[in-house]
Amino acid sequence: MFDHIECFYRPTTLREALLLLRKVGNRGRIVAGATDIVTQVDRSTRFLVDITHFGLNYIRRHGKGWVIGSTTTMAALEHSAVIRALAGGILAKAASTCGSIQNRNMATVGGNLANASPAADTAAVLLALDAQLVVANSRRRRNIALAECYSGPRRTVLNGELLEEVVIPALPGGGRLGWSFQKLGRTATDISLVNVAAGLQADARGRIKWARIALGAVGPAPLRARNAEDLLLGKTLNEELLAQVSAAVMQEVSPISDSRASAEYRREMSAVLARRALRECAAQAGCKL
Amino acid sequence: MNSMQLRLKVNGESKQWTIAPGDLLLDVLRREGYFGVKRGCETGECGACTVLVNGKPINSCLMFAAQTEGCEVLTIEGVAQGEKLDPLQEAFLEYGAVQCGYCTPGMILSAKALLAECPDPTEAEVREALAGNFCRCTGYLKPVEAVLAAARVYRQVGPSSARPRAKRRSAPLGKKR
Repeated sequence: MFDHIECFYRPTTLREALLLLRKVGNRGRIVAGATDIVTQVDRSTRFLVDITHFGLNYIRRHGKGWVIGSTTTMAALEHSAVIRALAGGILAKAASTCGSIQNRNMATVGGNLANASPAADTAAVLLALDAQLVVANSRRRRNIALAECYSGPRRTVLNGELLEEVVIPALPGGGRLGWSFQKLGRTATDISLVNVAAGLQADARGRIKWARIALGAVGPAPLRARNAEDLLLGKTLNEELLAQVSAAVMQEVSPISDSRASAEYRREMSAVLARRALRECAAQAGCKL
Repeated sequence: MNSMQLRLKVNGESKQWTIAPGDLLLDVLRREGYFGVKRGCETGECGACTVLVNGKPINSCLMFAAQTEGCEVLTIEGVAQGEKLDPLQEAFLEYGAVQCGYCTPGMILSAKALLAECPDPTEAEVREALAGNFCRCTGYLKPVEAVLAAARVYRQVGPSSARPRAKRRSAPLGKKR
């Protein structure tokens, strides 16, 4: 199946990897966990560059934020005490739903993002956390917001660049934060039909002062429902507002029909999951509905 | 066709194999005679091809062989100690958890990885650990019971060594019975 592969490179430094990627150009693919590369056979690929041998596997605090090396596996995210304590554990929860244990031992967070599947479970969470990506080629290194990284289904603006790490900035200061990750799939570890990550912060009077609602599998790429977020700001959460916000979510998604679910079902479920997510966030933030 | 050298340990034995750069681990292991590694869906869904790489279960159909350079691979052939079956294998027999047997190597390896990390699992933890191993004959009740029973044996006497005697090519599971 992969007899068209001419060479499998195992660079031992980032510099070597970047020079190799420049040399092989668009005939090369980056390998970390390999799960997506093997299941999406691309006969134009001639060279594989394994990026797991120069220390991109780490999770650490960075100031008030966090950095995650791109080859960190889903299993590592799921079990990391640091990630379980971050934002109510929604990133750990999302990672724990990315396929079976076997897949989670292989699949990496960098791959989940760079493969740009609209259904990527960690992508919705990382959008809600305002994540930035550090990407590099042999000439330069740059930061790009995850929200600006996608250009279409399975397409990114990364042009032959290597994703080095994911940066999660400091969470909003002060208390009364709530978080939720909701996933609808046929089984607990199946691909998402819809996924939603949400975060809320309430002020002392219970008014929402910060909100994030991100969704996956309901558009060409994981997306933020910014109109729905704006509806929440400055208001106290109640059933009426929840209904308005979930209606706004339905307006902002653009799902397709496929063998797993119809567009109409995905749209309905976007609202249902967003409402569930906001209820969970509100409870954690101490907001009474 | 380009070729490359792969050095790794399989069931405790050092190996050096000539592989093609695009070879999948599943294909290389079967080519080298480890027929306990089953070819199933080839898309990482069914878990029949499960092996442990550095102690962790992975789908060998989704991994390039070249990724396992320097790694320790455990296949079902390396689970028994000589003629003595591992408590997990004994339990699968005793509980009737094997019907056609195609999913069994993967299930036992997934269970082995679980018990190495979690010697006293709950039923839910066993089901979670086996969630990536599909069975199309018996269902999951008997394998789950078998793993829980094996966990009790492990806690009493410990697992049999994962390493077979050196220089002995273990026969496939079927031949041993």
